[in-house]
Amino acid sequence: MPRPRSFQCQGLVLKSVPMGEAGLMVTLYTRETGKLKAVARGARKPTSRMVGHLEPLNLVHLSMATGRPGGLGTVTQAQIVDGHAPLKADLEGISRGIYVVELADGFGAEGSPNTELYSLLLDTLGSLQGDSDSELTLRYFEVHLLKCSGFMPELYECVACRRELEAGRHRFSPELGGALCPECTPAGPRIMRLSVRALKVMRFIDRASLPDLSQLRIDSDLQQELKDVLTATLKYWLDREIRSKRFLEHLENSAGLGVYTRGA
Amino acid sequence: MTTDPIPSAAPSVARLIRELNKLPGVGPKSAQRLAYHVVRLPAEEAHALSQAIVDVKDRVLCCSTCQNLTDTDPCTICEDPRRDQSQICVLEEPLDVLALERTGCYRGLYHVLHGVISPMNGVGPEDLKLKELVRRLEKDSVSEVIIATNPTLEGEATAMYIRRHVVPEPTRVTHLARGLPVGGDIEYADELTLSRAFQGRRDL
Repeated sequence: MPRPRSFQCQGLVLKSVPMGEAGLMVTLYTRETGKLKAVARGARKPTSRMVGHLEPLNLVHLSMATGRPGGLGTVTQAQIVDGHAPLKADLEGISRGIYVVELADGFGAEGSPNTELYSLLLDTLGSLQGDSDSELTLRYFEVHLLKCSGFMPELYECVACRRELEAGRHRFSPELGGALCPECTPAGPRIMRLSVRALKVMRFIDRASLPDLSQLRIDSDLQQELKDVLTATLKYWLDREIRSKRFLEHLENSAGLGVYTRGA
Repeated sequence: MTTDPIPSAAPSVARLIRELNKLPGVGPKSAQRLAYHVVRLPAEEAHALSQAIVDVKDRVLCCSTCQNLTDTDPCTICEDPRRDQSQICVLEEPLDVLALERTGCYRGLYHVLHGVISPMNGVGPEDLKLKELVRRLEKDSVSEVIIATNPTLEGEATAMYIRRHVVPEPTRVTHLARGLPVGGDIEYADELTLSRAFQGRRDL
């Protein structure tokens, strides 16, 4: 059967990079085809019919012309479905949104649809612009991103001896893929501390839905421990730094005027 | 082992093709066309081209005040006493200065950031010329900072960062109006642009 010359799809813009004189190379995450790269010719001209629609964090409806086999498609029309304007209204919202789409870009695969990841992306961005705890929402996104991408760490058995984990001083190894019981001390891979509280919260997040997070009350130490464990796992599977994390942390650690000049 | 992509060209022409091929937007075929155009140029024109490239590397520097590219430090705009010293317009790139100067409607000073905060590409505030802007605001009596970053997500993030972390009270901070481009079409405008165009509507 011949390939269709054009098709329509809905997707979240993960990033758009200038291409040539006035074009854009757009990376989207769609329900139907997973990650998708396409060219939007002339999209950076002020009078382009696509300008403004192809900004990162926009959920858009697109008309696409199919490219040559193995080549890139061309965006022929774009229309915003949800611009996530409340998220873009403040600096923290933008930086959290960019963190989410950078991870989705890293874990999403081209031509490999993953409806769970697509729904997770939209639900997370929706939650980030609501009243919910943004840090917990990000931890939820990280856990479920690992889960729906097939990289969920083992939280119920020791990854070395395969015995069920019991209350104790556990540790965690991103390289070995999960928690370790107190008896197992494998040499080599980076081993991190994993408190029982952090283990329980990760198990809870694994089973929870986004609205369930409102039941959680966690202190800053536990928040930091969860962040460290999940960041190490994400970096291990991505095999690189999470670039947008640096700016996110910079904003967390700086408040008010003049912080920048003090070298923050 | 890599093979020479242009084995039949004379060595000096092949070298020129390779150098031109390094320029942004110039592919191998364009590089070949440009190289053979240079070969056919009168000697004085070819020398003028090469001298212009050498001069730009030898003479152009960043203005220590506004960070724009210039041959003299401070640049002609910063040194011009007729310019309004109380206004600073903050821009992403030196090319944006040219665009604003073409309008002829702004008579204040500039500050070029040489980039924009781009978390996804690992570009943070410390990679921009923000320290220099902080120093200017401490030293000079500036009453208004006009932020003219591009109306993109990264441009907006940079504008918000400058508002919050760089410009002290009570300095006024404004940014260029958002709305419909001249020659544009309401039907195709995105919702954010349209809503901002409504917010910024004016009496006729």
